[in-house]
Amino acid sequence: MFILFVIISITISLSIFFVRNNILTKILSAVFLLMLTGISGYAFIHINEISSHYYKFDDLGVLLAFVLSILSLATFYHSYLYLKRHNFTNKQEAGYYASIIMLITAMMSAYFAENIAVLWISIETTTLFVSILIFFERTKEALEAAWKYLFVSSVGVALAFIGILFLSITASSNGITDLSLLHLIEIASSMSSIWLKMAFLLVLTGYSAKMGLFPLHTVAIDAHTVAPPPISAFISTTLMNVGFLGIYRVFTIVAQTEVLHWAQNVLLIAGVLSVFMSAIQLLKIKHYKRMFAFSSLEHMGIVALGLGIGGIGYYAAILHLVFHSFVKAGLFYQIGQVHRYFKSYWIKDAYGYFKINPVGGLALILGFISILAIPPSGMFVSEFLTFKAMFLTKHYYIAIFILILLTLIIYSFSKNILHLLFNEADEEIEINEIKPNPYESISQFVLFGLVIYLGINPPVFFTDLIDAAIAILN
Amino acid sequence: MTYLFIILYAVTLIYFALSERVKKFIWLLAIQGSILFGIVFFSLNKIEVFDFVFILIETILVKSIIVPWFLNKVRRHNHLKREHEPSIPVFYSIIVVVISLLLSFILSSQLNDNQIHTKYFTVAFASILFGVYFIIIHKNIFSHVVGYLIIENGIFLLSLAVGSVMPMMVNLAILLDVLMGVLVLGIFINQVGDTFKSVEIDQLSNLKD
Repeated sequence: MFILFVIISITISLSIFFVRNNILTKILSAVFLLMLTGISGYAFIHINEISSHYYKFDDLGVLLAFVLSILSLATFYHSYLYLKRHNFTNKQEAGYYASIIMLITAMMSAYFAENIAVLWISIETTTLFVSILIFFERTKEALEAAWKYLFVSSVGVALAFIGILFLSITASSNGITDLSLLHLIEIASSMSSIWLKMAFLLVLTGYSAKMGLFPLHTVAIDAHTVAPPPISAFISTTLMNVGFLGIYRVFTIVAQTEVLHWAQNVLLIAGVLSVFMSAIQLLKIKHYKRMFAFSSLEHMGIVALGLGIGGIGYYAAILHLVFHSFVKAGLFYQIGQVHRYFKSYWIKDAYGYFKINPVGGLALILGFISILAIPPSGMFVSEFLTFKAMFLTKHYYIAIFILILLTLIIYSFSKNILHLLFNEADEEIEINEIKPNPYESISQFVLFGLVIYLGINPPVFFTDLIDAAIAILN
Repeated sequence: MTYLFIILYAVTLIYFALSERVKKFIWLLAIQGSILFGIVFFSLNKIEVFDFVFILIETILVKSIIVPWFLNKVRRHNHLKREHEPSIPVFYSIIVVVISLLLSFILSSQLNDNQIHTKYFTVAFASILFGVYFIIIHKNIFSHVVGYLIIENGIFLLSLAVGSVMPMMVNLAILLDVLMGVLVLGIFINQVGDTFKSVEIDQLSNLKD
C-alpha cells in the first residue's frame, strides 16, 4: 500500500514539473494533499502493520505523519500566497510544487521506514529536494546556504551510513543481515558494545545536520535564513523530526543493551551544548528568521535532553517534538506575512508591526508565548515534564544550568519580538502600503490553539500513540 | 588477485595527495572506479548472479564512467585547471595518507572480528579518513565534491568488508540517491561558478551573525 502512495506521488510530481499548467498544478496538489491525509488515516487504522515489505505503520511514524499532514495543508496555502506575491515564471512555480511534493513523500517514507537502510535513503532524498527549495529565490545567499546544506548534509549522511554499516557488522555476527528494525531490536542484547557505541556516535553526528542539533546544526540555520518562509517552516519542523527519527531508531536498538547509559550521556552532552550555543547566539541576533532558527536549535536540545534523561523524559521529548513542530511552523508562516510590509527580515528594519496589522500581531504574540513555553502553551507541559524528569533522576546541575540558559533565551527572544510588535518608529522606515488580510493568520491561530488544547486536555488517542511509541524504551 | 587491487587502491590515495591538477583528480576517481570493479569481480562471486552483475555495472558504469564524465563537464564549464595554493604542502599530505593507512592497519588487526574481511576494511577506513582530510585541506568546492566521492568509494569498500549484501531494491535506491546527489552538487558548482565567478570557498562566507 505504501509503495503505491510513493509511486503516485512521484507521478504527480513529475507531471507537475513537465506540464507546467497552473490549473493542473493546483488540481494535482489538492489530490496529493488528499492522498497524504488519506495515507495517514490509513496508517492509523492499520497501526503496527507491515506495508510493502520495507515499511511499517508504527506509532511514532503515525504521530509524525499526522503532524506532517496538518503542516502540509498550511504550507501549501502559504506557498500559494508566497508564489502569488512574487513574480516567478511558470517553470519556477512548477519546480517549486514538484520539489515540495517529493520532499513530503520522502519525509513520509522516512517516518514509516522499517528498514534502517530505507530510512537512510529517504533522509538522503529529503536533502536533495530541500536544497533545491532553499535555492529557490536564486540569490547569492540562497546559493551559499543551499550549497552548504547539501554538501554538509551529504557528508553527514555518509557518516551515518558508516554507522549503519557498523551496526550491520555486529548484527551479521548474530545472523541478521537485513537491517530490519524489528530483527535488530530482537538481537540487540547480544550485539558487541564497541560497534554499537561507534554506530550510535556516527549516526548521531551524521543526522544532527538534519535534526538541527549540535554539532552539525550550522547548515540548518543558514538554510532557514534564506529559504522561502513556508519552506523554512518545513525545515524547522517536519524535517527536523526526520533527523530525530533517524537518531531515535538507532537509540531504540541501543536502549536494549548496556550501552544505553553511555548513549544517554552522549545525548545529554549534545543537548546541553545545543541549548548553550543557542543561548549565546540569540544574545547577539540581528535577523528574525535566524532567531527562530536558533530557537529550533534550543528546542531540539531539549528533546535530546529528554531522551538522555529517560523515564518521563522520553514522553516529554516526543511531546515537545510535536508541539514544537506546530508552534515553529506557525511562527514562520507569520514572519512571512511580516516580510510583506517591511521587505526585510533584519531586526533593525522591521518594527511597529502591531499597529500595521493587529490580527497578525496577535498571532505573533500567541506564537511568542507558545514558543517560550509560557502557560497556557502546551510546550510548558512538555518542558515542565523534562525538568521534572531531570530532578527525579538527580540531574540537578544540568537542570539549573539549562534553566539559566533558558532565562537568557527568553530575555533575548522577548526583546526582539516586542521590538517587532510595539516599537514606535523614531525614524521613518519604508513600509509597503498593503491592506492587511486577517484571514491569512487563521492557520497560525489554529496551530497555536491546537498546541494549547493538546497541552491542557490531550485526547486519549494522542497520549496512547506517544505511550506506544516509547513503550520499547521502558 | 584481490590483494593486488587493494594495494592499487591504496596507491591511488597517495596519488590524490600528490596531485594538484583538477583533471588528475577526475582521472584518479575513474581509476578508483575500475579498481573497485576489479575487486568485486575477483572476490564477490558467492552471491546471486543478479546482484553480482548489478554491482559490477554499478562500479564500471557509474563510478568509473558516468561520474568522472560529468565531473569533467563541470570542470570545463568552470575552467578549472590547477588547485591554487593548497593550504597544506604536498609533503605533509603524503605523511597524512601514510599515517591514515597505518592507523587503519593497526585498527583492523586489533578488531580481528570474523565478520569483517580485514583486507577491505583497512583501505576502506583509510579512504574515508583521507576523504575527510581532502575536504579540509582544499579550498574550492569542486575538490570538496572529489573528497566526498573518495569517502563514498571508501564506504563502498566498507560495505564489501562487512559482507552483508543488501537487498537489490535497497542497493539500487542507495546508488540512485548518491548519483542524484553528485549530479545536484555538480549543478550547484556550476551555479556558484557563474554567480561568483570563482569556486573558491572564501566566496561563500556571507551568511553569518
